Parts: sequence; structure tokens; C-alpha cells
Amino acid sequence: MGAHISIPMYQRAVPQRYRLVGQRCLKCGKVNFPPKAVCKYCNAGFEFEEVTLSGRGTVYSYTIIAGGGAPPEFAEQAHCQGSYPVVVVELEEGPRVIAQLVDPPPAGITIGMPVRAVFRKIYEEEGVIRYGFKFRPA
Amino acid sequence: MEGVAIIGAGQTRYGDFPTKGVKELFAEAYLEMLQSVDRGLDPQMIQAAYIGCLSAGSGFQLGQLAPLLMGHVGLPHVNAVRVENACASGGFALYNAACAVASGKFDLVLAAGVEKMRDISSSKGRYWLGVSGDTEYERLAGSTFAGIYALMATRYMHEYGLKREHLSMVAVKNHRNAAANPKAQFRKAITLEQAMNGVPVAYPFNIWDCSPTTDGAAVVLLCNARRARDFTSRPVYLRGFGAASDYLAIHDRSSITRLNATRKAAAEAYKQAGIGPRDIDFAEVHDCFTIAEILAYADLGFCEEGRAHYLLEEGITQLDGKLPVNASGGLKAKGHPIGATGCGMAYEIFRQLRGEAAEPVRQIKNARFALSHNVGGSGGTAAVFIYQRGDE
Ligand SMILES: [Zn+2]
Repeated sequence: MGAHISIPMYQRAVPQRYRLVGQRCLKCGKVNFPPKAVCKYCNAGFEFEEVTLSGRGTVYSYTIIAGGGAPPEFAEQAHCQGSYPVVVVELEEGPRVIAQLVDPPPAGITIGMPVRAVFRKIYEEEGVIRYGFKFRPA
Repeated sequence: MEGVAIIGAGQTRYGDFPTKGVKELFAEAYLEMLQSVDRGLDPQMIQAAYIGCLSAGSGFQLGQLAPLLMGHVGLPHVNAVRVENACASGGFALYNAACAVASGKFDLVLAAGVEKMRDISSSKGRYWLGVSGDTEYERLAGSTFAGIYALMATRYMHEYGLKREHLSMVAVKNHRNAAANPKAQFRKAITLEQAMNGVPVAYPFNIWDCSPTTDGAAVVLLCNARRARDFTSRPVYLRGFGAASDYLAIHDRSSITRLNATRKAAAEAYKQAGIGPRDIDFAEVHDCFTIAEILAYADLGFCEEGRAHYLLEEGITQLDGKLPVNASGGLKAKGHPIGATGCGMAYEIFRQLRGEAAEPVRQIKNARFALSHNVGGSGGTAAVFIYQRGDE
């Protein structure tokens, strides 16, 4: 099997997946999410303070994954929904994240559209439900 | 630094070969390479081999693929290693081989790539293709590899006014080129209407925006430039080679409408060659998805940022244009056997610059300089090469 996230690996990222915990670089002040060992903005700072992101942001880009092409973990979701949107969101604290969009507006997704993070079931594998964040129109 | 020449190259046809495994594919390309060395070569003189392959990690041979392949072609004692950078594995094999010759340590080094994708069931294949992107965040958003490039395409359309039909123009051009290439997977032209109306994959992409799954292998032999004419009357010189990396996940990058790995690799290659984008007569670029070729135009300096779609509108990158791009058919239609792709580009350029493009209709005439560009995943890595015709 190829790409796959084991349960222990998933659990190590629970603060990010459940609560959007990021890190503010003490050298340049910018916010990294997901966390890095060295700040991705200044490539120098390695000391951070923890920050919980607000979950508010805007759509930076989007796509709609067609049913047939979904990764196997998401095959059931794709089967039920036919297709589902995936967005890059620019969070108000600065970092961008990639996640699914729920309840997309009937008129279509637009770049710049305000969204907020919601806690959702992401997928089920090895008999365990994996929870995490998605976004919905704000 | 020593000069580097290509003295031989071989490639299997790309496609679906149920009766051939990696060993058979590799051997076929290797033997064609040996035959192309027109003044002859004792294969035992080959000192090292760098072999690109991604799928070795997914089951059939977890480790030590390189000695397996070299033992199959009668070179069991060569210093051989597998190189992996997803879709750029072949490009990085070529880059490492070029550095090995340039260092003066070796005079004859093999660069190769092989991939056997058609054995993998489509459900397993989707797990497997996820390997090239960021698994923890991109993949767990439910995105596919096509979805990541689709996110780049949507943003590019927003920033620069790219239209859906510009994406399709890349597919139409590359399929037309592949139709004339006997080594291509899809030897079939398609219409713009077909290309615009394929089965949806990930908005804005349909199936015609995506490269296929492919079996294939490619092998090139590099030689110290001072010795090249001992082996062939028509060497092709590798004048510049550059390689670079970027954040693996697209959410970590400052822009998703350019590949910084390509830009850095291209700058290194142009600087070493002492030429610029205007000197390039034709190019093989990494078009795993149609948007990837469009991004490559500006990243390689063929146009200004955000102007790539005008090159397509003006026909500049068609086979009969000022700067033909992907005369082979590209990844889109020649095919994309992941680990082989970077070396397959070198094979195409080697043949073109020697006037051996097989079908006269696709031979690019009077070319001196060519460029190849190979990208790993969505731009986590890239390698760029500049070639010069050897008869001057
Ligand atoms: Zn910093």
C-alpha cells in the first residue's frame, strides 16, 4: 500500500486537527501552521509560542474532486456525494491550509469568499473515525 | 569541472506492457542505448549507474532495485544506486550522473529510469500516487494529486485570466505531437472540443488534462566530454544542469502559480551553460497536468509571469512554432512512467539534436540548444538540463 496515515501518526497531530494549534515564531513574529521545527517564513527562528488559530479566513483557491478520482479513504464520501470541494484557505493569522468545504453556496465557490473552520468527521479507516477540520461559508 | 556529453540513449515505447516487468523494460532501453553508441563501447567500462524509480517502494522490490537491474544486463559489479524524487526521479538520476562525470571521478556513467505502473490496480494506484504529495495535510483533505494541480490552475485563472480552453490547447498540441512519435503511448490526435469535454477529474480538469499511467524505461550514457568522440561521431553536450527543492505541501508556499524549484534549477542550468531562455530552440517540459506546462513557460523564462497562455494562442510552442515544446507528445500523450520520465526527455532531445527523430514530420531542424525540465510531485523538486548539438 502507498500513502496512508496510521492511527498513532494521526493522533500525534490531534492538537492541529482538532483545535488548529499553530506556533508564533519568536524571531519574526509570524504564525506557522502546521508546526515546523524551524520557521517557514524566516528560515531561522526555532523558538515558538503556541497560538490557537481563529479558524476564520478566505478561500485562496478551490477545486471539486470528482467521485471516480477520490483517494480510497474518501471513496465512500465521493460515492454518496458524487463529488466534493477542496479549498486552500488563507487564515486571518497568515498561514494557508488545505481542507474540504462543506455547504458550498449554490451559486458556486469564489476566490476571496469568507469561510470559518468547523469540526467534522474526515474519514473512517481501520474501524476508527478520523475527525478534523473542514470549512464552511462564514 | 569536466565537460559532460551524452554518447548514447535508448527508450522503450511508453504504454501498457502486460508481458514485461521492470527488468525487461530496463534491458530493452539499455540495449537500444548501447546500439546508439556508433563507434562501439565495451559495456564493462561503465563505472556507475543512477536509476530513477518510484514504485520500488510500493511492494515488488522494496530495496536495492539498482543492483537487480544492473545484474540483469551483465553489469553486476557497477556502483549502482536507486534515486527517488517522485516524478523527478529520472531527472535527479541524470543530475547525479552528470555531477559524477563533471567531478572527474568517473568517465562513463549511466543515468536511467524505469516504472511499471500498469500492474497496480486502480484502487491501490490511488494510494500509491498520493506518495508524491504531502500525505498528512493535502491528502487528508481528500485531495488527489490532480486536485493539487487543479488548485494551482484555479488560482492561475483568477490571477491571470487563463481560460479553460487554454488548458485544452496544451492537450491538443501534445496529442498531435505524440501521434507522430513511434515511442509514444497515445498516437492519436484529439480535437479542442474533445479536450474541453472529457470526464471531470478535479475542477477545472477533465481526463484530457491529466497524464496517463504508463510502463516504460529510458537509459542515457554520459561520458567525459574529452573522450566522447572515442565512442560516437555525434555526441550531444550537457552544457548546464540545475536542480532544486521547495516546500512539499502547496499550502506552505508563498505562491501557487509558479514553481520556485523550477526557477532555481533553471537559473543554475542557464548560468552554467552561459546562455539564456532566448537561446533555446526547443524544449521538453513537465506537463503531468496541462497547467504544469503553462506554469513551466514563465518558470523557465520563455515568457513573463502570467503571460504563458498567449504563447499557446500564438502557436509559438507548436511543433512548427518558434519554440516547440513537447515535440515528443510530453507526459500528457507520450506517457509518464514516473521514474523514467526525466531520462526519456533526454532521449528525445538526444535523438532530435542528432537528426534522428524517426519520423521526418517531427524532426526539428537547425536546432543548436534544447532544454528539458522534470518536476517531482507538485513542485517539491525540479531538475533542468541544457543540451547542445555536438557537431560544432
Ligand atoms: Zn520566523
